[in-house]
Amino acid sequence: MTLSDLLGEPSPGRTAQLLEPRPERSELLDEYSKREIRRACLTAVAVPGYQVPFGSREMPVARGWGSGGLQVTLGVLGDDDTVKVIDQGEDAGVNAANLRRLIRDTTGVATTTDSREATVVQTRHRVPEDEMTDEQVLVLQVPVPEPLRGVERDMAELARMHAEADYSKMWVSLYEDVVRNGVITRTTGYPCLVGGRYVIATTPIPRWDVPKLHQSRHLSLFGAGREKRIYAVPPHTDVEPLTFDDVPFEVERTPGACCRLCGAGSPGQPESFLVEVPQLDGPSTWVCSDSDWCMRRRGIEPLSEPAFDDEPHDADEEGF
Amino acid sequence: MGYAAAKGGLDAIRAAEELVRRKRVAAPSPWLEVDQLLDRQRLAVDRVMGEGGLWAPELAARALRQAEGDVIEASHLVRSHRSTLPRFAYADAVDADEMTILRRIVPAFRNPPGPQLLGRTVDYTGRLLDPMPEDQAREAAAEAAVAVAEAPPEVAPDAVEPDPARRRPRRLYELLRDMDLMVDRRRDDDPEPADITRTPARPGAPRSALLATMARAETGALVQLWYRNILGPDRHLHEVTLGEVRHGELPVRVAHPTTGEAVTLGRIRATEVEAIEDLDGIDEEVDRFDVGYGLCMGHNERKAIAMANLDIAVHRDQGRGPLEQSVLQTTDGLDASGFLEHLKLPHYVTFRSMIERKQARRDVKAAMVRGDDADLGKDCR
Repeated sequence: MTLSDLLGEPSPGRTAQLLEPRPERSELLDEYSKREIRRACLTAVAVPGYQVPFGSREMPVARGWGSGGLQVTLGVLGDDDTVKVIDQGEDAGVNAANLRRLIRDTTGVATTTDSREATVVQTRHRVPEDEMTDEQVLVLQVPVPEPLRGVERDMAELARMHAEADYSKMWVSLYEDVVRNGVITRTTGYPCLVGGRYVIATTPIPRWDVPKLHQSRHLSLFGAGREKRIYAVPPHTDVEPLTFDDVPFEVERTPGACCRLCGAGSPGQPESFLVEVPQLDGPSTWVCSDSDWCMRRRGIEPLSEPAFDDEPHDADEEGF
Repeated sequence: MGYAAAKGGLDAIRAAEELVRRKRVAAPSPWLEVDQLLDRQRLAVDRVMGEGGLWAPELAARALRQAEGDVIEASHLVRSHRSTLPRFAYADAVDADEMTILRRIVPAFRNPPGPQLLGRTVDYTGRLLDPMPEDQAREAAAEAAVAVAEAPPEVAPDAVEPDPARRRPRRLYELLRDMDLMVDRRRDDDPEPADITRTPARPGAPRSALLATMARAETGALVQLWYRNILGPDRHLHEVTLGEVRHGELPVRVAHPTTGEAVTLGRIRATEVEAIEDLDGIDEEVDRFDVGYGLCMGHNERKAIAMANLDIAVHRDQGRGPLEQSVLQTTDGLDASGFLEHLKLPHYVTFRSMIERKQARRDVKAAMVRGDDADLGKDCR
């Protein structure tokens, strides 16, 4: 497909082509809609951090379940792409498995669980632990794209605040947080200034993942289906967490915690984002949230084309 | 523990799907035919079409069956089907006066111009659960079907040839306008209606976007928002009298791609309501009325009435309060239900981050109590 195919107006020949029955598989989006999404993505890349409105379509997954991420993924996918889908860092989660199945069955592209092989990674709540490359696109599912909603509800006022880069209410709220609590208590989706201009909600990715967006080699596309917005962090763009000179930005870290499967976080080992596994008869244990990264560290090679009837991440054995 | 890490996520999904399918498809009762739904669950089918935003009775009936009667789920099926279809043309705007009415009531006058046509309604029927035993009911239904087929009863107004003047009556607000009792809000620039499926409707959107949003909105959401204005904290409505409540048929026309002439593709049923508001605001023309408008696909009077009331309420509020944003952003059934239900998805990454911050807050507090030289908030204790 050429660029003019992507951007041009529909010609009669193209219309006729679209009218042709395509019995091989049923697509979730018509070509016009995909083009609209690609245009919104291009605008988003051109204006980093700006929330571009788009005519979000209804997807076969409910709004709030990744309908925005799915539209962006379908919009940017080409035939040669390889897709990975994770939810909470994991490939085998039910919603990730469902989205991966939908994408594979309706586009025919290859899928993988290996972060290094994927060209498009669709994710909910995490960024893979492996550093992504300039040949990869990260598509983040966004439940709440508006970073300022906690301090302002009126949409007209929000539009003004972004337009004038008036983030004073956000700064006041962070200041009050420090005064009242001694720390900034923002948890996930930490507000960040992109390219020195727009404040974005970093979806609910943990603070641990926020530095991975800063001056990254990969493109990050944020799709909010329910709220009908797409925004982007292009490669090599500043992503600065909002904080004060004398209040350091803190990522999630629990002293002494390490992955009980691969040992990440223990002395001499690399660190990863860990999730807690409460135990009935003792203190909590911890495991990596990025199951693919964790398995590779243990010498379990993932399958490039996952056979879904197999069990790529055997949870029973690991006691999840 | 947990579905997120469920062993072989896809296996679990497949098993769940099989359970649903087996219970619904392989139930021991006879297969539920689409025409049964169209004939006997008409209002549910209409609601799916209205909230799904697609006039396709058979598809809506299938969706309702597939969704086991869940109207929002069925609307979702219809809408995501819409997403797969390319859009080749926009229908021409149709004058609502072209509606051939099947039912029309005018609560504002005893004898309005044109008919008071009760039509197909249970408004004045006692809400008594029919106690007739099933086999008798089945027999009676079969007999009635034969009787209708043999001799259409005289009382069925749909069966007689409609008198054009009676079937397309003049609307009440025109009468009020003649009496110089209406605020004149007619505009002469006649803009094209906004397409909310292509351009997201945000506060400040044109009225057509507001109306289109409500036409696809979830019925219960509109009713609730209306009732908030009656009993709750929102007070944007004063005293509404309904001018028109209509249910009827409208043509759908598209300009022919080569000749450019309007071609009638078919007809849809719609419900139309005019809500006459008794203006009482200090900055309003209190010696006149104003009118709100409601129109939705299918037969759904509750929705059209709420819509017409909210239309005039948004106009009267003039963007001063949050009502317009509430209508535009919070009434879509798929948006609200989808987001509500997404709470069922795994959230253990975000939850871990929350626990970590709670502990961080405790640690800082403990350090302050001990009098450690905590940097944070030191001057602000």
